[in-house]
Amino acid sequence: MLRYTLRRCGWTVVQLGALSVIVFLLTDLLPGDAATVDFNEQAGLDQVARLREQMGLDRPLAERFADWAHGLLTGDLGTSLVGGGPVSEVLSSSVGVTAALAAMTILFLVPLAVAVGLLTGLRADSRTDRVISAVTLTLTSVPDFVLALLLVGLFALRLGWLPSTWVGADDVWWQRPELFVLPLTVLLARTVCVLSRQIRAGTITALHAGYTVQARRLGVPPARLLLWHVLPNAAAPGVQELARTGDQLLGGVLVIEAVFAVPGTATALVEAVQNRDVPTVQALTLALAAVACLLNLAADLVGQRLAPRTEVLR
Amino acid sequence: MRRGARRRHRRVTGGALLLALPVTAAVVGPLVTPADIPSDGPPYALGGGHPLGTDALGRDVLTLVLRGGASALGVACTAVALAVAVGGLLGLAAAASRSRRLDDLLIRPVELLLPLPSLLVISVVGVGWRGHPVAVALAVAALNVPAVARLLRAAALDAASGPVAEALRLQGESPARILFGHVGRAVLPVAAADAGARVGSAVFTVAAANFLGLGLDPTSPDWGVVIAASREALFVQPWAVCAPTLLLVLFTVGVNLLADGLLAAKAEGKATAWNP
Repeated sequence: MLRYTLRRCGWTVVQLGALSVIVFLLTDLLPGDAATVDFNEQAGLDQVARLREQMGLDRPLAERFADWAHGLLTGDLGTSLVGGGPVSEVLSSSVGVTAALAAMTILFLVPLAVAVGLLTGLRADSRTDRVISAVTLTLTSVPDFVLALLLVGLFALRLGWLPSTWVGADDVWWQRPELFVLPLTVLLARTVCVLSRQIRAGTITALHAGYTVQARRLGVPPARLLLWHVLPNAAAPGVQELARTGDQLLGGVLVIEAVFAVPGTATALVEAVQNRDVPTVQALTLALAAVACLLNLAADLVGQRLAPRTEVLR
Repeated sequence: MRRGARRRHRRVTGGALLLALPVTAAVVGPLVTPADIPSDGPPYALGGGHPLGTDALGRDVLTLVLRGGASALGVACTAVALAVAVGGLLGLAAAASRSRRLDDLLIRPVELLLPLPSLLVISVVGVGWRGHPVAVALAVAALNVPAVARLLRAAALDAASGPVAEALRLQGESPARILFGHVGRAVLPVAAADAGARVGSAVFTVAAANFLGLGLDPTSPDWGVVIAASREALFVQPWAVCAPTLLLVLFTVGVNLLADGLLAAKAEGKATAWNP
């Protein structure tokens, strides 16, 4: 277990290094830079060139990357080309809302998905299972922005029960829990369905496995059998799936923040991409990718702890 | 077992039926509609020669919807086809390689791409190349390759270490024949089911990027763009939002049902193999 953990952590470090290169190259490929965006159409070419020199955009790629990587390691994320302030300020001012949204989603997601997955998996092919499975299959197929529009249309505009936007709730968002209801519902809808389907399949496989049959034959009580033998094995693929849901969650958060005008990281990122504010895009993309990377690490370690067997496979 | 088989069969036909409408719209639509859709009506009008009304620019919604399917579904389908081809090749090659070093060399670099947040990459590419469909398709394909390669490698390893492959090897069959004849065939249902689920999520991602205004031009007839552009008028002119949404949802539900049916068939085959 220790060897696996160390190897897995080392791999994550390599992954993070490679990610920083990929992110840098990808954002460097963006045609046009902040110097061209900053000026209006009357600006002459020499003016743009002067500004580019001033921003340090005319240096060779390797030099800029070395500079940026050095800054990253020392905790300096660079200076926003549009606002002029440090990028870390953009990040810290927007990360709270996004983290709160994601954390609350995961808090509700795991128990809900496990409950639904076990319920349907233990009664596979019963009427309950068929109804719930049909619902989850349909919900996984509805894009989150469509779901968001429909819910806003019904609960905010028609019935007027819940607020439809975060505009006007600048700094006091944490005092207004009703703001979270619709975004959370949309974020949960798809992720719960995807995850519970995974757990359902894992439960069915574990229930029919040889060791479960043997344990039942030996007289292990059903509750103990379920919690000690079936659930960990059923949850192992679910944990992997949870890490992958992280990616969906990020995408979902992006859409949700756009629909509800949430002042979060994703909104800041979309704005930065549109403004060609390369340092901000780089820092935010790398931060989000690093979170995904660490989520994958955590999922692999937890999965290894739950069902320690993959070591044998090459 | 019989009831399960019948239900599975129903799921596959149901999926195919649901797919019929959006796929027909996407394939036939561009042939029967003009490339430049005229803005000949009042904005958000209902009726008056427009069966589904008009959008904010006064364009006919029915024409828009028929025209927009090709980009909404085509980009995602092309991307997934490309990803399955490249990822499958990589996964099979890695599983077939006898040396662990070669296996690592093939699969590790691909795994580096796995934690890249997909919507972010698509939005950067979408903005950078002004939503050029080819660039977006390539980005979606690149994002899907790692997962496909990993999955198919695992499935191929499963089949390559099974008793059938062992028996073939003992009989002196050539490695190429075992790989393409037995392992390739054993992997096929997994690959098909996975591709089905992947098409669904690729359609989502592309549509979401377009919805956010990070993909195609805001006047393009793409379903995601039309939904985003007409969302303010949900109660004034519901069809402008509902028609493209309905087609999108029909497509993803259909694809998921098909993939589900295929996976169930695979699981059932395994069950019969283990409990003779």
